[in-house]
Amino acid sequence: MKEWRLIYRPNGDTADIFALPAAIAEGNIASPYLLSAKKAKETVIIQGVGKKGILAGADVSIDKEEAEKQNIEIATTPRSGRGGSRPLGTISYQELTLKTPDEFLSQESDSESPACILYTSGTTGKPKGVMLSHKNFITECKIMDGLFEIKKEDRIIAVLPLFHVFGLTNVLLGAFYHSASAVLVPQYTPSNLIKAIVETEATVMLAIPTMYTHLLKKRECPSSLRICISGAAALPPNLVKKFEEKFKTRLVEGYGLTESTSASSLNPPEGVPKPGSIGLKAPGIEMKVFDENNNEVKDGEMGEIVIKGDTVMKGYHNLSDETGEALKDGWLHTGDLGYRDSDGYFYITDRKKEIIIKGGLNISPREVEDVIMTHPNVKEVAVLGISEHEREEIKAFVVAEGTLTEKEIIDFCRERLSSFKVPKYVEFRDILPKSLVGKVLKKELIDGYKDERLIEEKK
Amino acid sequence: MTLGEILEKRVKECPEKTALFFEGKKINYREVNQNVNRLANGLMNLGIGRGDKVAIMLPNIPEFVYSFFAIQKLSAVAVPFNTMYKGGEVLHILKDSNAKAVIALTNFAPLINEIKPELPSLQHIILTGERNLTFADPESNMFVQLVLSQETLPDLDSAYHKVGFLLTNVFKNFGIEDVWYKHRGSIRVRGKKIAGFLFQEIEDTIIVTIVCFLRSFIVDEFLKVIWVPPEIRDKVVEPLTSIEGETGGYPDRTEFKNAVVESIEKVFDVIIKEGKLERDELFGYQKQRSLAHKR
Repeated sequence: MKEWRLIYRPNGDTADIFALPAAIAEGNIASPYLLSAKKAKETVIIQGVGKKGILAGADVSIDKEEAEKQNIEIATTPRSGRGGSRPLGTISYQELTLKTPDEFLSQESDSESPACILYTSGTTGKPKGVMLSHKNFITECKIMDGLFEIKKEDRIIAVLPLFHVFGLTNVLLGAFYHSASAVLVPQYTPSNLIKAIVETEATVMLAIPTMYTHLLKKRECPSSLRICISGAAALPPNLVKKFEEKFKTRLVEGYGLTESTSASSLNPPEGVPKPGSIGLKAPGIEMKVFDENNNEVKDGEMGEIVIKGDTVMKGYHNLSDETGEALKDGWLHTGDLGYRDSDGYFYITDRKKEIIIKGGLNISPREVEDVIMTHPNVKEVAVLGISEHEREEIKAFVVAEGTLTEKEIIDFCRERLSSFKVPKYVEFRDILPKSLVGKVLKKELIDGYKDERLIEEKK
Repeated sequence: MTLGEILEKRVKECPEKTALFFEGKKINYREVNQNVNRLANGLMNLGIGRGDKVAIMLPNIPEFVYSFFAIQKLSAVAVPFNTMYKGGEVLHILKDSNAKAVIALTNFAPLINEIKPELPSLQHIILTGERNLTFADPESNMFVQLVLSQETLPDLDSAYHKVGFLLTNVFKNFGIEDVWYKHRGSIRVRGKKIAGFLFQEIEDTIIVTIVCFLRSFIVDEFLKVIWVPPEIRDKVVEPLTSIEGETGGYPDRTEFKNAVVESIEKVFDVIIKEGKLERDELFGYQKQRSLAHKR
């Protein structure tokens, strides 16, 4: 029977997790040529650590100060380079591109053919693949000119993930279309973001409300930014004022969907911004408010926001029913409810799917949220309908600052809302689950939410 | 006009203009295009062409930009997706899009390998970057590493099975009956991970790194050091469980070591004896440790 060697280190340190096997493997490679003639035995290493630690790849950014404060040891794996270790069954990007030619001409392609499928994180259901063509993206780059000007000299901060429509289209492709530069921020932290702005003297930033909130809390305030755009979630008006004062720049809110290749409207940076509004529609596309029978409603009247034009998607991948529901006569039905004022500014009130129907009456969760948010001890709130005995009841999820009770919230609502809009239940949470672009994921608040991250055994 | 042609137009008009700023470096349009072309040629050599779907699971690094435009130049279809997605979500997207290749960070290798058997159209896993992240906690996890020659593990599928089998044995020993092994994947109890492993090769040596959770693992302190906004924390960390989480009790380190040794002896039909590092290995060990502390 063969004999294997055991190296047992119950109280090692973090670097050993990498160094022990690497040393033994290296010994295996070196030994035929170097000191010892015999090949090392097959080895089993069993180790634990004596202290908390993080073993990180060379590209991971680590907050060293915080590590010291938390008493966490940091070790880094060196760059593997050529001939280094690589997970089995995979191809190394570096090796794949090592000996290939520098020349490659674009294959001819129809501008209507799909360039990209982007999966919408969606606040309900499984991610849907939105098919976008070359023409969709290029049209969006063109209409950006009508929303805010990008100059050749601009350095645009790419802190929004490039896998998201907002970052991909308006930042990366927008920069390349306009011969400008994109500043890649690989890992978002408020400090990394500030550092990138300062180092590159960035002039344009597209980000989400949470990031602007974080920046406000930082001591540093670079002044190179000439325009900041916010999207993907509602921008609180008081944040705009504070941010503009501190950073001496404009911060305007826009609106768009993956299905419309990002931005379809924006508050005009040079004109009059209206707080709480998503601004004026982009030139070159149509944007209207429809009633349930697909007729346009009058200004000021509520309905569903619809968009038509060359930025509207081809459809959802493999989902013809959903595509048919979303695209009717070329109009993209956004699922967002809102209205247009007499100056042409659009406002969003609710997601259509989130409207609560209680005893035949429609209740806007946004309206209830807005009321609860005015309570001084409420930091965040999400209101949704939950089914109870075949009807919907209103439930509020609240992140409180200081002490607060369910009764206080309900009484507070009773004083300010019609009785049928008052939540029946209030649940306190430490945080609300959010997507990477800051949208509250209401589906994860519902009882019996199935964690889609789990990998289940098939029986 | 296509997106690939836009890049080519920029190269003609302003080759030296900075296209990307990245960690103190400037990369101009000509350099971006060269990198794009090299990858386009590489992908073409793998058989990627018109209409093929290529998934991109990368953060905002130059390789994202090169991948996106290389795919465009090939008239293929890019499927960029959220780097925070975990098992079930990644599986859904790669399956639904019918991706033929995926370009991802090295640390996603275990996850993609785990779901690969359910993805018949996925032919190539292309990895870049050095973003592995391992949290070590004296209270909760232990590491088992096998450094073996290719003769001992000649074929990958059976290697995965052997390691999967020996680990499920270890956890069954500690009273967890419904532990299971997902081929090429992790050891799970229901949907949650109780141990994970990664196969790496250096020339003809195979390194299997296994992390096992003995007690419940609290990630909060670790996540303060790797800054993650609190509201998306649960998106970053995979759902985990532990021996303590499943049974209420947990083994001490010696008990755990003995169980692992016994299981390896059985599965590989060998005798295991405690030993030390040899002289060459000690030199290597010192060198590797100094590399690991450089930053």
